[in-house]
Amino acid sequence: MSAALGDTAPGAETRLAVRGLRMRFPNGKLALDGVDLTVSAGELVTILGSNGSGKTTLLRCVARLLDPSEGEVLVDGQDLARLNGEALRKARLALAMVFQRANLVRRRSVLANVASGTLGRNRTWRTALGGLPPEELPLARELLRKVGVEQLGGQRADTLSGGQAQRAAIARALAQRPKLVLADEPVASLDPEAAEEIMRLLRQLAVESGLAVLCVLHQPALALRYSHRVVGLRDGVVAFDLRAEFCADQQIALLYKDIAA
Amino acid sequence: MSVDGTTLELAPRSTRSDLLEEARRGGRLGRRLVVVLVALIAAGVIAQAFYVVQARPEDLITGAHGMADLLSRAMPPAWSEIGDILWPSLETIDLAIFGTLFGVLMALPLAVLAASNVTPARPLYYLARGVIALTRAVPDLVWALLFVTAVGLGPFPGALALSVHSIGMLGRLFSEVIEDMDFGPVEALTLTGASRLQVFAHAVVPGVLPSLLGISLYRFDENLRSSLVLGFVGAGGLGFQLLTAMNLFQYQTVSLLLVATFLLVMAAERGSALLRRQVA
Repeated sequence: MSAALGDTAPGAETRLAVRGLRMRFPNGKLALDGVDLTVSAGELVTILGSNGSGKTTLLRCVARLLDPSEGEVLVDGQDLARLNGEALRKARLALAMVFQRANLVRRRSVLANVASGTLGRNRTWRTALGGLPPEELPLARELLRKVGVEQLGGQRADTLSGGQAQRAAIARALAQRPKLVLADEPVASLDPEAAEEIMRLLRQLAVESGLAVLCVLHQPALALRYSHRVVGLRDGVVAFDLRAEFCADQQIALLYKDIAA
Repeated sequence: MSVDGTTLELAPRSTRSDLLEEARRGGRLGRRLVVVLVALIAAGVIAQAFYVVQARPEDLITGAHGMADLLSRAMPPAWSEIGDILWPSLETIDLAIFGTLFGVLMALPLAVLAASNVTPARPLYYLARGVIALTRAVPDLVWALLFVTAVGLGPFPGALALSVHSIGMLGRLFSEVIEDMDFGPVEALTLTGASRLQVFAHAVVPGVLPSLLGISLYRFDENLRSSLVLGFVGAGGLGFQLLTAMNLFQYQTVSLLLVATFLLVMAAERGSALLRRQVA
């Protein structure tokens, strides 16, 4: 039965290792209580959990949008929890994030939005003044093709549908050339069909491009269908960490049950 | 039983709820009293305003004759002097252009400092807020008086006055636009590892630029109207001509100047409305 446990497949490179992560908010609420988690290259891992289980907090701690109280967040070997300032910015280049909303700059073209994902490694005066690095435009076009919206590059971002915008946002995340992609409920504001397509795309990125993808989802069905591994989070603690095909409906149902029940 | 705070604190629970009930019943009566009181105060305020401004409707009626006389003497406008007012008209327009341009240039950095969500440091935030409040609170007419004293008569003090007052008006509106901005793209770009300046240029600027342009165009329209009044304190333009003509009892020139003023203001209003629709 050990194959069912969420151990990383041997040989695959560990891209994210979270160890003993604790997060206590200033108001005293303990959102994460010692979370351990690994994600390897080529793997799509989904975190499931009810509202308030700490799944979004976990993702935001990994990205250092929040400062965890305790524990390690090793992204590509570097402990993000311990870095600050310029060192943090550099280390964070290995990590890209996709949000619930696409968060594109609405008045710019889709291509410009994707190209802006490369700003972190193109720190020139030209880009500081709003210019785009011209040598990255072929990459941006290539990525738009990869996510399936190449024909929309010239359009303004606010003309896209929800699913198209999310694809463009994923292309922007890829433009960063990340090793780890974090997705915070990437399909929550999409219709079911677009949601399936985005999940398919995320899985494809893991399998074909060898990215490590960590995704927070609200829909167990999508999680089971597309992820390699599912992590159940309950009250800030990992309830289970299993390969998707070994997840029982009962275990998942338990995540969403009231504590009192 | 007295109903002051200390008794309420000390009263046992049952008595306290009785008190609350009593207070609620008393509240209805109290509200009626408040309404009457407010009405009386409002009537008093209005009455004293009439008294203080020495409102005499009868003067307005007897004065109608004088007005008609003035109008007849002002007609027809002195069309032949049209060549003489071209330069002052241009001066008025240029006052507005200068005032708006420098207002925008100065207001932009101030607005960035004065927007609570992007300000680099708290002390700078308060400093910028202070500058904006001061330049806004002092009317442009007063700024013009100050600058006329400092740099002498002519359009330049007027242009300075408009600039300074515009800094305050624009700074406040600009900072509000920045504060209301959609922060999703900013967070997204920050996470890609972009520097603060890059995030500002690539996410903040495209997000707020249309609103800023619209506000600036509206400010131009306002500045044009203000620049007419500024002439009255010696700051050049059509206003100064108007004052001179009034003092010399050249009423036909006055009416010509009023026609020119009307046309300029209308043109600016229409033009800025049209452009604002374009950038929206």
